[in-house]
Amino acid sequence: MFVIRCPHCCEVREEEEFSYSGEAFVARPSAPEIESDENWGDYLFMKRNVKGWHWEMWGHSSGCRKFFVVKRNTANHSIGGAWSLTEARKEYDAEEANA
Amino acid sequence: MFNSSQSNQTSQFKPVMQSPLHPFGLAAKQEKVNGTKGVWANEVPLLGYISLRGNVQNAAFINAVNSALGISLPTQPCSMLDSSFGSILWLSTDEWLLICPREQRATLQKLLETALQGIHSQVFDNSGGFTSVILQGKNASDVLHHCTVYDLSALQAGKVVGTTFGKVSLFLQQDKNGYRLVFRRSFADYIWRYLERSALPYGFGIAQLNDER
Amino acid sequence: MSDNRMNNRIKHPHSKVNLNKPLSFTFDGKSYQGFAGDTLASALLANGVKVVARSFKYGRPRGIIGAGAEEPNALVQIDTGARTTPDLKATQVELYEGLVAGRTSGWPSLAFDLKSVGGKFSRFMPAGFYYKTFKAPVKMWPIYENIIRRAAGYGKSPIEADTETYDHQHHHVDLLVVGGGATGLLAALLAGRSGVKVLLVDDQSELGGYLLSMPNVKIGGLTAQNWSANIIAELASLPNVTILTRTTAFALHDMNMIQAVELLQDHLPHSARNATQRRERMHRIRATKVVLAAGAFERPLVFGNNDLPGIMTASALTTYINRYGVACGKNAVIMTSNDLAYQGAVDLAAAGVKVTIVDTREHINPEWANRTNKLGIKVYSGYGVSEAIGTSAVQGVKLVKLGALKNIVTGSGPDISCDVLASSGGLSPTVHLFCHDGGRPKWDEARLAFVVSANGRAKDGIFCVGAITGVFALQEGLAKTRITLAEVLTDLDKTIDDSGLALETDEIAVTPARHIFHVPDGKDVHGTIFTRPKAFVDFQNDVAVSDIQLAVRENYRSIEHIKRYTALGFGTDQGKLSNVNGFAIAAEALGKTIPEVGTTTYRPAYTPVSFGALAGAHVGITFEPRRYTAMQATHEAYGAEFEDVGQWIRPWYFAKPGEDIHAAVNRECLATRNSVGMLDASTLGKIDIRGKDVREFLNRIYANAWTQLAVGKCRYGLMLDEAGMVMDDGVTACITDTHFLMTTTSGGAARVMTWLEKWHQTEWPELEVYMTSVTDHWTTAALVGPKSRDVLAKLCTDIDLSKDAFKFMDWRDGTVAGVPARVFRISFSGELAYEVNVDASYGNYVWNELMKAGKEFDITPYGTETMHVLRAEKGFIIVGQDTDGSVTPFDLDMAWAVGMKKPYSFLGKRSLARSDTSRTDRKQLVGLLPEDPNVVLKEGAQLINSSDITPPVPMLGHVTSSYYSAFLGRSIAMGFVIDGIKRRDEEGRNIVYAWAEGKAVKVKIVSSVFVDAEGARHNV
Ligand SMILES: [Zn+2]
Repeated sequence: MFVIRCPHCCEVREEEEFSYSGEAFVARPSAPEIESDENWGDYLFMKRNVKGWHWEMWGHSSGCRKFFVVKRNTANHSIGGAWSLTEARKEYDAEEANA
Repeated sequence: MFNSSQSNQTSQFKPVMQSPLHPFGLAAKQEKVNGTKGVWANEVPLLGYISLRGNVQNAAFINAVNSALGISLPTQPCSMLDSSFGSILWLSTDEWLLICPREQRATLQKLLETALQGIHSQVFDNSGGFTSVILQGKNASDVLHHCTVYDLSALQAGKVVGTTFGKVSLFLQQDKNGYRLVFRRSFADYIWRYLERSALPYGFGIAQLNDER
Repeated sequence: MSDNRMNNRIKHPHSKVNLNKPLSFTFDGKSYQGFAGDTLASALLANGVKVVARSFKYGRPRGIIGAGAEEPNALVQIDTGARTTPDLKATQVELYEGLVAGRTSGWPSLAFDLKSVGGKFSRFMPAGFYYKTFKAPVKMWPIYENIIRRAAGYGKSPIEADTETYDHQHHHVDLLVVGGGATGLLAALLAGRSGVKVLLVDDQSELGGYLLSMPNVKIGGLTAQNWSANIIAELASLPNVTILTRTTAFALHDMNMIQAVELLQDHLPHSARNATQRRERMHRIRATKVVLAAGAFERPLVFGNNDLPGIMTASALTTYINRYGVACGKNAVIMTSNDLAYQGAVDLAAAGVKVTIVDTREHINPEWANRTNKLGIKVYSGYGVSEAIGTSAVQGVKLVKLGALKNIVTGSGPDISCDVLASSGGLSPTVHLFCHDGGRPKWDEARLAFVVSANGRAKDGIFCVGAITGVFALQEGLAKTRITLAEVLTDLDKTIDDSGLALETDEIAVTPARHIFHVPDGKDVHGTIFTRPKAFVDFQNDVAVSDIQLAVRENYRSIEHIKRYTALGFGTDQGKLSNVNGFAIAAEALGKTIPEVGTTTYRPAYTPVSFGALAGAHVGITFEPRRYTAMQATHEAYGAEFEDVGQWIRPWYFAKPGEDIHAAVNRECLATRNSVGMLDASTLGKIDIRGKDVREFLNRIYANAWTQLAVGKCRYGLMLDEAGMVMDDGVTACITDTHFLMTTTSGGAARVMTWLEKWHQTEWPELEVYMTSVTDHWTTAALVGPKSRDVLAKLCTDIDLSKDAFKFMDWRDGTVAGVPARVFRISFSGELAYEVNVDASYGNYVWNELMKAGKEFDITPYGTETMHVLRAEKGFIIVGQDTDGSVTPFDLDMAWAVGMKKPYSFLGKRSLARSDTSRTDRKQLVGLLPEDPNVVLKEGAQLINSSDITPPVPMLGHVTSSYYSAFLGRSIAMGFVIDGIKRRDEEGRNIVYAWAEGKAVKVKIVSSVFVDAEGARHNV
């Protein structure tokens, strides 16, 4: 029962307005046909399942219907930020680069 | 899309429209708003609703809409604009809902479609799919606090938000008389009953419609 | 017991009970009198009722111990019939005229409990007794459970439907103050003055908290009562402050979401209750800042026979005398390890009760010594009560002399008679809410309590004031509240205004308490199990000191395990009185310190919450959204029975008088196949899609190809998820080269819309498409059957309906009954059929016009059941009935709907080539014909190879759809069979058996197209 600031509506809204939509930045292979069964299976099913900071996709289902990215701590539900897909990509890449 | 002027009707037919809340017979129950009830509501039936989608980065789209409607399309999140033809609601970064008198729907749609010819956009007559309810009275915001998770103190006039209502979603706006709820036809029964139930402790009346169109 | 109608009521100058307003009530079938302002507990005590319950495990008689939410014993059944509520605490039930209260325990009666026979032999019921005893045989478990539950009690749930209503209310505030005692009131006032939005909740009927129990203390020169009255009056004058009394904050969730339940009418006599008002309301409060001023509960000291009726906490004794004007006895003994109990002792003595104090400390506070002396109160210092004496109520105590430094017995003491015994082991802060979202309190040895710090979790916006922080003295609490509020208001960009608030009190300075929880009795620990009286820690669950010691002897080490093994703190009181004593006793047994042992985890709810409050408006007709089409009233008038399809309410069948579902469906099917029927298909999801890339978008979303579909044409499409499994299906029409209209299943519309948006927004933003849900805009009437063209022709003159001008899988715009319409010539039945779509505002009108026009053909409206039969006769699938998320298009024998040559690897394509998905012997959908044409298979029946059901029986699959086909005069079915498609075509392998409800039915695997395989019926 947390709150999320929708980066498109630009308002803090209650969790009830949103829907969780899985891990963010799970890229669809550009040429699925040449992927091995194992790689394709990883893309489909193998998610990070981290304890701690997790980049995840949410949809503002009761509001603007846009998908965006939330950085959420799965251990304590604190939220590190919410960005549009393009803005989030920059944040995420910067963080991955520093890691 | 359709030639909706109804001149081609053969005279034997007398089409009848029914609003989503028609089964509740609200017109017969309405009374002048007075101090006896804390919450007053009514359906503003059979308005025109046009769904509009387009890219605000595309100047051609903005210009086409603005010149067709003679307005400045609201692009601020959660904003809306009242205009001579009705109002236009920001629903998302690339989505609006134009609400107008039903009689003007065809003209406005035609204007938009003509202006947007060749520009990536979507104009759809969604008039059968929506309805609006006005909500007034001294306990109007109290009753909404039973129904929606939205913080109504953040809902000033000129704002529209998509949020929850019971277990469904709707668009909520505030004007000088109170609140206005805009929602899909098939949820009308649920939303009205939920509203009726939530308003019971405050007293619930059917408000006489004045110039709500 | 209660025949002894003593009157313990005294005239007390500060009592909140109105002696001019008597109220009559009944408890356990007997009538009593109380007064306005009483709780059930105070009224029972005033009437001298001592035994109010029987204990959970041993059936021992129990009395009232506390005065509020901490009460473990006095669980009562309130009211009767639909309103009856079990397990309310008598200490929290406000008295009203005509209140009917009953016991929740004691079988067969309060006076005699079968379990109390067991109590005499309680060595047989140690910790883990039920686990150890009722272990085998397994088949006896239900019988054990029945007897145990009946013997244990715990009240009765109402069996009648609730006639009262409940709701939820959402709040968004700057500051929530939990607790309306002295510090909570001050916090609310300081915040309220700054102009921020404040909500104050308190569980009592009256604000003031423990100030109501200590009326003689002076704050800023005012009596406690006047001080709080001034603050309450000022709060009431502030428009930015809301106060909710009778409101218990029971949960604290992420980011300061607090749930609280308000009792609105349960304190009123039935005649004053208002049917338009709620019984309870659940508040969901989102607060920027929270101030927890939840106070503390006094914990009793633990000693032998400490559960005898007449034994209570010292604070409860004080509350009953000062707030309710009830002296719980004539001859009181008060045992204490601290200064807290003295005020009550003095107040009681002033009211004429004989009071003896047993202070476990060598040295008592000189100021209190002085005051008790003046009132003739005898004080035994350095003594403890090792054992209470009595059978059904306390009659006296045995004292022992305690060691000065260690908690051991160093000598004997006198026996003293008494009729009430109170004890104080110190205060346990009410840290529950603080702990709900992960916070942990810390042990403070000086305060002998688990406490939270004043800026509790300031970064999260949670602050703590008063007793919860271990600050038990009023003056210090008020001063620190002021400091904390200055911090809170700074965070909110406000400044504090404390003008006119004097916060000094006339309390007596406190001297140190003794670290003691369990009073020793000097008896040998071993070998005395027969003679040593039980010393209870958790009264509600009958957990004694010996149980905790046993758990430790049996090698339990973690307090969480000891808690679960003994059931310590597991009652509806959540161990409010017992937890800290239990931790301390476990620590002693483990040879550890209390902080080393730690605390257990507190979880919501702080006190029990009714299902009604949790459900709120989500009951009855507003339980779930019910979506209706524009023709609902017409369907009802036509006698439809309805079924739920997702949230939609759809006509199931239209029974004529005397018809059952079978007769109605048979009639509807035959009428449709032979003449014309009509189905309300408005619930199908519809999505309008536009843009230059629509074809490419559809190519990626659907399994089949869309590049060639011509304007004016429709095509059926299968939608797969990325795992290659069928997730939806429907017909999509090409309106123009850049404009398509997609239909989805009725239940899948929202999911598909989200699916399309997600792929477009996240993976393919470069595709120029926009989508809008238009489901609600269109009303769809499916006109089905050989006469459908004749019916439509009567209402539609601007579309050429002839066979070749308007072909199967074409759509046309035109006018139907004078209304603009889009007509699709598509069929879900194999018949000639037209789906007429109009603006839903005209939906009911057009439906009725179609009915009128069809009258000469005996047009028959039909519902979902007939729709299912007609489609099954043609072998058409229903996604969600014939598929379950584990089915590929190939499993459905629908390779024709998969465009493997499309350039973009459409969603799910790659998965179709995975090793398991591409097996050719997967479960496959086939038609099934029972050998006996009158037998309709059970949907869900297992399909097996022979009628021999001797295990092991290999499962081949199951029946997904099964109907009686009136048109064929026999039963038909569809189902999954391993390797079914090959088996269908191999004589000898094409027989299986459907196993359900104890019968195996012989079934032949056939093609699933039962009617008109060549398509002649629709091609007319
Ligand atoms: Zn949004």
